[in-house]
Amino acid sequence: MNQKLVDAIADMDEESALQITKDALAVGTEPLAILSDCSAAMEIVGARFEKGQYFIPELILAGEIMKGISALVKPLLTGGEMQDTRQRPKVVLGTVKGDIHDIGKDIVGFMLDVGGFSVTDLGVDVPIEVFVEKIRSVQPTVVALSGFLTLSYTSMKETVDAITAAGLRANVKIMIGGGTVDQQVCEYAGADAFGKDAMAAVALARQWTSGGK
Amino acid sequence: MSQSPEQLLAERKQRLLDAYDLKQPDRVPISINLGYMLARLGEITCQELEANPDKAQELLEKWALYFQPDQIAGIGLFVASPSVFLGDLQTKWPGYGLPPDQPFQFVEGEYMKAEEYDEFIEDPTNFTLRKFMPRAFKELAGFTDLPRFPIVLIGYAGLNFLSRLNLPSVKASLAALEKTLQWYADNAARAQANAQRLNALGFPTGIGGGPLVMAPFDFISDTLRGMRGIFLDIYRRPDKVLAAEEKARRISADAAIQAARTSGAKYVRIPLHRGSDGFMSIEQFKIFYWPQLKGLMLDLIEAGLTPVPFYEGVWDQRLEFLRELPKGKSVGQWQSSNMFKVKEILGDVMPHYGGFPVSLLQGGTPEQIRAYTKQMCEGVGKGGGFIMGTNTAMDECKGELVKVWIDATKEYGAV
Repeated sequence: MNQKLVDAIADMDEESALQITKDALAVGTEPLAILSDCSAAMEIVGARFEKGQYFIPELILAGEIMKGISALVKPLLTGGEMQDTRQRPKVVLGTVKGDIHDIGKDIVGFMLDVGGFSVTDLGVDVPIEVFVEKIRSVQPTVVALSGFLTLSYTSMKETVDAITAAGLRANVKIMIGGGTVDQQVCEYAGADAFGKDAMAAVALARQWTSGGK
Repeated sequence: MSQSPEQLLAERKQRLLDAYDLKQPDRVPISINLGYMLARLGEITCQELEANPDKAQELLEKWALYFQPDQIAGIGLFVASPSVFLGDLQTKWPGYGLPPDQPFQFVEGEYMKAEEYDEFIEDPTNFTLRKFMPRAFKELAGFTDLPRFPIVLIGYAGLNFLSRLNLPSVKASLAALEKTLQWYADNAARAQANAQRLNALGFPTGIGGGPLVMAPFDFISDTLRGMRGIFLDIYRRPDKVLAAEEKARRISADAAIQAARTSGAKYVRIPLHRGSDGFMSIEQFKIFYWPQLKGLMLDLIEAGLTPVPFYEGVWDQRLEFLRELPKGKSVGQWQSSNMFKVKEILGDVMPHYGGFPVSLLQGGTPEQIRAYTKQMCEGVGKGGGFIMGTNTAMDECKGELVKVWIDATKEYGAV
């Protein structure tokens, strides 16, 4: 492990992270070794976010640093190496019908991803049928519904109802979150739990799958 | 109740003003904004509500008389028309980019590139006219062809440069703007007449209301750089962010003061977005958010206005900062912060408005609503300086539950 690279990424030193990557590649370091350092660094970022040391700016910047490093490393990969072979518990995530807010959803996606889950992000304003279809095809253990507007309470309820009507409710645990979502909304929507932040989402997903890391 | 509308108006007004003055009114006042809930109540779509201001006013009056709050508002002038006339890309409205029955939404994007900070800082007016307006409003695309106005500083010889205003592209954009301005003129008159009609029914208007501006950080974040952009900028070009915020503060203060002087408004609303708990660290807040917001608030206070920041999201971890504000000179409107903690820490600094969860008014039981109303009236209403209101838009609330809440406020809020 290249500790300097891990530290540079984890400490948000974008310039050094890219320089160290270039230098390492120049002396013949395996691209895969660099990607593995990236994963280690992202875990630290996730842990710092969880502890309240890092916030959204750091998650965004970490993502950007990753993008920069990938751009340097990817041309040197022969293919196949990028495949993630780990068995990760699956989560289907999306902002419900009628709502286009993505900030909270993206943070939850990021934290679940670094937390060891395989996340299928359906985006925003996700039609109810799309949730149902994806639950059928992806077969997740966890479904995470996000919403910021108050109309999302109703969309969450309709989505949960449709999952039930499709006979899939028993296969999944459903969490909701975002904006002013609270226990009241959880009961109204018929979800299994609500989370007030991304850490709560990860904790719930772990509890339900005894998975992740 | 046999009081005349005049008596009710005077009584309600006094009750609200007492609370806004940090005093103890005869009971906790309740001020509501029904927003798109009026469409539900009137069994019409949100789009119809926006398109038919007479109907909107009729519904507002009808439900004001039914609910009997101390102050009430509807969607007012916050409707699609100006956005539609100008081809606004930053908002979507019922029937325009959204299904007819969905409330408006803001669409964040990048309208100022990272490398354009200097251009904005050096000359915000030029950036606004020739870069931002054409980008954000399709119908103002012609403004890219506007002349450099300061060339007129050379006097007579400079006038010739203004002939660029005759370009077809510019003329088309000016026509779109003209149409929008006419709409504002027509509707300002209507809004005034509507306010008087509400007053005649015994309901005060405009207390706590006024022009709306943004905190300097949100000014740069919401409509120029986007959250993603600005959060990268605080790492990549922090000095530029700070310099741009300084410009934004002065522009916002000047605009608000000018608007308030024209309309007679006493309050200036400031909805806050990226400074709440969870978005940025306290360290970042201390550098990039709080000093600039406080600076703007002090500018407004110095001009004799009362800033009303809407502390959106949760501010529980940064309430202590707000103690730096001069006592009784601002109002706090709250969303999901712990209202009891807010009262404890800031009870003597500012009056508090809002905080009642709409989730209860959407899906709660009358018993739950009465119990929480009692808790809030006793805890937050204690000693005055509290105006009952919801934590966010009432769009989806149920009429019968809202009635329970208002009646419970009157019962438990009485001194």
